[in-house]
Amino acid sequence: MIAYIARRIAFLVPTWLGVTLLAFFLSTFAGGDPARNYFLRTRGRQPSPRELVIVRERFDLDKPLPERYLTWLGGAVRGDLGDSFSTGRPVTQELLRRFPATLELAAAGTVVAVVLAIPVGVLAALRRNSILDQLTRGGAMFGASIPPFWLALLLIILFSVQLQLLPSAGRGGLDHLILPALALGLGEAAIIARLTRSSLLEILREDYVMTARAKGISERRVIARHALRNALGPVVTEIGLVFGYLLGQAAIVEIIFVWPGVGRLAVEAIGQRDYNMIQGFVVFAGTVYILISLAVDLVYLWLDPRVTLVRQARPAAS
Amino acid sequence: MRQHGGFGAPVLLAGLAVLLIASACGGDEDEAARTDPSGPQTLIIGAREDGYTTEGNEADVGQYPLNANIFEGLVRMDANYEVQPALATEWEFKPPNAWTFTLREGVQFHDGTPFDAEAVKYTFDRVAKTGGGTPGFGKDSTKIIDDYTVEITPVFENRRLIEQLVHPSYSIIAPDSNPGDEPIGTGPFKFVDYSEQEQIVVERNDQYWGEKPTLEKITFRFLPEPNARRLALEAGEVDLIVDVPREAVADLEAKGFAIVQSDVGAYDALYLNISGEKGYTLLQDPAVRHAIGYAIDRDALVEGLFEGLAGPEQTMIPSRLLGEQNAAEIDGYAYDPQQAEQLLEDAGWTEGADGVREKDGRRLELELINGFPSAQAHGAVPEFLQDQLGEVGIEVKIVKMPDTASYEERLASGEGDIWIEQGSQNDANPVFLPALLFWTEGLFGDIGYQPLFAPGGETDRLIIDALANPDSEETKALTAQAMSELVDEEAIVLPMAGIFRIDAMSEEVGGYEPQPSALQVRYDGAFLARD
Repeated sequence: MIAYIARRIAFLVPTWLGVTLLAFFLSTFAGGDPARNYFLRTRGRQPSPRELVIVRERFDLDKPLPERYLTWLGGAVRGDLGDSFSTGRPVTQELLRRFPATLELAAAGTVVAVVLAIPVGVLAALRRNSILDQLTRGGAMFGASIPPFWLALLLIILFSVQLQLLPSAGRGGLDHLILPALALGLGEAAIIARLTRSSLLEILREDYVMTARAKGISERRVIARHALRNALGPVVTEIGLVFGYLLGQAAIVEIIFVWPGVGRLAVEAIGQRDYNMIQGFVVFAGTVYILISLAVDLVYLWLDPRVTLVRQARPAAS
Repeated sequence: MRQHGGFGAPVLLAGLAVLLIASACGGDEDEAARTDPSGPQTLIIGAREDGYTTEGNEADVGQYPLNANIFEGLVRMDANYEVQPALATEWEFKPPNAWTFTLREGVQFHDGTPFDAEAVKYTFDRVAKTGGGTPGFGKDSTKIIDDYTVEITPVFENRRLIEQLVHPSYSIIAPDSNPGDEPIGTGPFKFVDYSEQEQIVVERNDQYWGEKPTLEKITFRFLPEPNARRLALEAGEVDLIVDVPREAVADLEAKGFAIVQSDVGAYDALYLNISGEKGYTLLQDPAVRHAIGYAIDRDALVEGLFEGLAGPEQTMIPSRLLGEQNAAEIDGYAYDPQQAEQLLEDAGWTEGADGVREKDGRRLELELINGFPSAQAHGAVPEFLQDQLGEVGIEVKIVKMPDTASYEERLASGEGDIWIEQGSQNDANPVFLPALLFWTEGLFGDIGYQPLFAPGGETDRLIIDALANPDSEETKALTAQAMSELVDEEAIVLPMAGIFRIDAMSEEVGGYEPQPSALQVRYDGAFLARD
């Protein structure tokens, strides 16, 4: 087990280096002059050559590319991602300052998804092919197809403009969290519900479930103790991935709800050619995602000890 | 063996159905505008994106781009683009290149520090450290003559300094302060709190030297998405929003919100490349340029694409700034497709098989580059132009640039025929843009692309004279002549529309006056009339 974890972690190093390489060169080759853009944005006009030189020197843009990458990578290893081209503040500090907001949103979205999806998925599996099951499947398809930005607008129009119950924008108390969490979580709920349903159906066909039933254990107990526990394995994997996915997906919802998270920060950075911020975000998001999938694997390992020894590939999520 | 009693309803579907039905219903209406302040004087504004810089000498929280009324400059600009005294009461230009300012006495910064020459020197020396700005502040530019007199000598000969100083980037900050740490100014409102990307809050400055504001507090919430601003207004979360999308105006009006329009302070214009190389030489033929001018139905453009909410003016520089009389010298183009076709015909451009004109085997095919300030800013205008020019046999290919930086880069490469730009006039210097874009020498020397739109000759002479004239009125007249040269004679600049800003507010807001330049809006006259 320890060896497995160690190997798993060792593999992360080249992955992470690859992320930094891609992040640095993709944003650099995207073109555009960040110094000029910085100036246009902060001053609303063209810079004079003197002003441009000052900006270039300040952000090391006058140095050759490989030198810039190595300097940047050296910093990144120590957690220093350079200074933002738009605020002048350290990128790491910016990301860490805004990350809790995104984390809050992604967590709330995941909670919405799980709380809605698991009961619905279980019920659909238990009443397979009933009207309820049909509706759930249709609803799940519908939910998965609605783009979050559209759902977000509908939610705002209903709950903020019409009913004036919940705020339409900004981060604050729980009331501010509800709409963005719904916008983010509903689509994923649909996916998790379908997965729960199919996973539970598969388990219900297993011999040991039959055996349990034959022994005369109550159906409730069969489901709760035997079937559900085993069915949740792939679901937990999915929830972890959903959480990671929502961290990235949050950007669009953050923009609509004016949520001060890292997703919005990244989108703004792209518009501003804030290379350091874009690179910083990609490396940061990559790191978080790598860590989440590691954590998911470990949780899975713990949930289902059988996997330990022969584990090569994860059973495909159906 | 089925379980009973669980929640059977598919929550997801039901919730969505409710959503869809409810969103189709209309909103309720408000009545009666009020004229006197009443109730708590706390105004919440839905502002645009947070564009503040917070670090080092560039920090400008409260100053630019959102002027939160914390700071004031030596001078300010009124709705007619006229320079008015603010922290300076008098000024004088001393040839060859010095300006003296007499400062207002008895003014205090919000922290109690007296305002004097020291503060002016501190402020402008700080600007010098970031390159000196448009006025050209150097490290020795600002000299203290006595406590209430300063002399400014820009690093280059600058007769436009007074017109540039109205910009909030040059507003005066307290000695040894940094707006990135704490914005300390002399303005009608004091800084309370700033949270990046969220809001900036200010409160009334009871020690203000001018007329004291009625509002006790203003919260500017940053809502970059125009639709988010609109929804926040409709939801009653904010009292006033800036830059309402034109398509939302009628709806908001119907729902009882007050719509306020500024005077024209921005423009939408085409610049035609007369210095392109290789594939981009077609516009060197003046007949083609003039034909484009006549081929565009600007009334249809304003009606169809700006919802009727734009001015017909073809001066590019706002006529309020040029002066109506000077602006009248710029004729612009009436919609006359026959004239356009005749011009092309006479110049040897004859219609080919597919309706596109040709000359010496070369098709009349032009590239239109869209991306300043952003491609989205122009909506469907490029497609409209493509259609209109197609009518007279000019084929247009639209190239969308993803952002300002790549647009600028493309501009530097010279690859493109028609360049569509939208810009706003934010100081009182009428010749800034002509000198930047249409002067062969270029305002800042070689920044890569002046020659594209600079015809030289008479235009250069007028721009040079306009720059060098210490009298603002004469500069306006000279600039208008230069613009007439560029629009009417050369057809290098083809203005499409004059653009004004549209704000919306609840009926409870009174005394709010929009300005053609967003940077000059003042809130000291605004109030709320609440029950």
